[in-house]
Amino acid sequence: MKSKLTPIILASIGALLIIGSFFINDLFRSGDLDVTIEKADFIMPAAHRVYANPQALNGKYYLFKAKITNNTNRTLEDVTVKYQIPGYIDWTELTVSGEMFPGQTLVVPCYPKFEDKITEKTTESVEKAQIHISWDGATKDDTVEEEFSFKLTNRNEYVYTGIKRDEISTWSDMFDNDALIACFVTPNDPIVKYYTQNLQEKLMKGENASVSNKPEDGIRLLASIYEGTRKSHMVYSGTKGIPQSTEDVQSIVQQVRLPREVITGNTGLCIELSCLYASVLSAAGVDPIIYLIPGHAYPGFKMQGQYYAIEATGINGEGLGGILDAEAAFKKGSEQLAEFFKAAQNGDPRYTLVDIHAVNQDGATAMDLRDDQFLRGKVDQVVALWSGGTPVDNNPNQQPDTRGPGNNTIVIPDDNIRTSALSFTIPNGWQTYMKPLPEMPILTAQVMAPDQLTTVSIYDIPVGSAQQAMSTIEQYFSNYGMSSQYQINGSTIAGQTYSNNGTFNWVGKALRANGGIRIVAVGAPDYAYNQKTNEINRIFNSIR
Amino acid sequence: MRSTEFLIASDNMKTLKFLFTVFIVMAFMNVHSQSQQKIDMKLDAVGNSKLTISMTMNGQQWQMWLQSLGNNPAALKREAQRSMPAYFLDDFNLEKNDMERSFVLSLNAYGACKVDKRGNWILETDQKNANLTEITSHKYMLVSSPPEFGGTVQQTFTIEFPEEARNITVEKDAFGKSIFKFQMKNSTAGFNIMLWAGILFLVMGGAWLVKNLAQK
Repeated sequence: MKSKLTPIILASIGALLIIGSFFINDLFRSGDLDVTIEKADFIMPAAHRVYANPQALNGKYYLFKAKITNNTNRTLEDVTVKYQIPGYIDWTELTVSGEMFPGQTLVVPCYPKFEDKITEKTTESVEKAQIHISWDGATKDDTVEEEFSFKLTNRNEYVYTGIKRDEISTWSDMFDNDALIACFVTPNDPIVKYYTQNLQEKLMKGENASVSNKPEDGIRLLASIYEGTRKSHMVYSGTKGIPQSTEDVQSIVQQVRLPREVITGNTGLCIELSCLYASVLSAAGVDPIIYLIPGHAYPGFKMQGQYYAIEATGINGEGLGGILDAEAAFKKGSEQLAEFFKAAQNGDPRYTLVDIHAVNQDGATAMDLRDDQFLRGKVDQVVALWSGGTPVDNNPNQQPDTRGPGNNTIVIPDDNIRTSALSFTIPNGWQTYMKPLPEMPILTAQVMAPDQLTTVSIYDIPVGSAQQAMSTIEQYFSNYGMSSQYQINGSTIAGQTYSNNGTFNWVGKALRANGGIRIVAVGAPDYAYNQKTNEINRIFNSIR
Repeated sequence: MRSTEFLIASDNMKTLKFLFTVFIVMAFMNVHSQSQQKIDMKLDAVGNSKLTISMTMNGQQWQMWLQSLGNNPAALKREAQRSMPAYFLDDFNLEKNDMERSFVLSLNAYGACKVDKRGNWILETDQKNANLTEITSHKYMLVSSPPEFGGTVQQTFTIEFPEEARNITVEKDAFGKSIFKFQMKNSTAGFNIMLWAGILFLVMGGAWLVKNLAQK
């Protein structure tokens, strides 16, 4: 009997240990899944497509991000994270991790896909997001449930920043959502399209800026948009912009009327007018730009690497007085643009621009808006004002538009490109440095592109031939540890300059000027040369 | 100029996307030479990674970098966190060497790898036909020049897998993007001593009993 008892006891202990091990595991299993959640404080319906797209604007606009760490001593299988926003998004599975080992961390960002009808939301509300985390074999007690609230703004509200108030340290931090202004630019809105078509047909009598790609045609379009707003007696008017706070974020929240609302309401604030211009320009196939400066915004466009602008708020309104004509508005816009580039190139972070098509490509796309017969009727009324309104009081010095019988009396200001004494056409927005190196007197000027890659150098050398001029330049270069290789073919010179900063490729022309030889050379660092070829060729062809 | 058009993230390794913040200022500089950046990524046995980024700049670049981010490490940290939404970052450490105009930034990135339903560990490159070079069986190198910086920056990544990683292969996901696939025995999984002791006792007791019964 004794010979059986000992092994039975041993086997029994073994069985108890096996059973006990499962109980012990169960004890450890619950409550040891660490969850940390980072949440958005504001969600803007206008930007709902940005929130839905993990690739948009580098994926920085999410609803929440959950960090889940498996602190149990067992591997969890099929860990599932779901979320819902009651009334907006039903339970949606975010991710399933096949296995989650002890100590492993899972990071789950949530990019919520709201329905398009969210753009019809006209009131702000506080909503709740609920999160549910479970895995295979998890009991009801094991699963993790979290929830948080956030502000869902109305479709017109634009929140300037999403950065937490205690982290804000610079101007840029306060305007961190600049790129999202592109969501208020709605070229595909049927109402904006209808307005644009009317503008092209009835006011401009034909428009081809996107086809010709000529700046003068772009300026004509810009001026026509201005004339359209002026002739319809559109007025400048403010909207609500108030600071709002959540638990972590404090930001100015600006009411931005959509371009369709600006057209049909016949009134707009600077940023709203900028969005309208950008929408029409985009609908017409031109690259719109919105320039943001302290306390103001104005629109423009980019063409062939050059920037243009107009002061859209020049329309003011009878009550405000001082209504500018299109040429004056363009002139003011150009002056502001010059100041803009000066400030921006000096590193002033308050001067920023939003290249609408560039940020569109990066995922900040416009909201979907439905067609509306009533609003089309309102557009018709606005269009009627163009023909029945007071004729434009043209400046006697203005040149008539000679585009044939379709003359609509809009005077297109002179091309902003200027041909200077430097023997080539300086694109708008480029910075000119006269005599940049006093110790190199032959270097008359250097002109730099805004991206500072393409550079034009103008040398005036008191010699008789291009070969002598290049030899003189070489001597000066050697003082700076630089050297060049070049080929002269008639008046054309092509070469490379080597320095500690790398290789600079260039092409240029030798001209007779100031009793000597003028060398005008345009180029870019070798790594950027191909990218800048069109720009360089354009400038090269303008050398005369 | 801080232009929104420049706010374009790198399409390079997802875990390293934040690097654009280090360079955001460089887009505005008069950069006539290509800058080099070195990024070391060391994975651990639970799929987290330690990132070390180092770079030397010329004087102008250094001043610009200091003005924008170098003298405001909190902003650098925030930009990094916002630029890498797929990961949780902590343990930031920035060491600047003003004499050499260089910096070394290190941080932890949690959840760099994921585990698929078949138990394979996956590290995504988020890049099609990534030009990967195998240095050792556990170390790979990737050199890239992100087009959004106009070719002004060359990034050299080294990716070091933990010793526990086995059968490391470079494959393509369903979208044709390069991924690392590997197996990794979970070294931190708890050894259930009670369970194994119980099995041992049960087997021993059973064998002993069978033996005694057989002897009779």
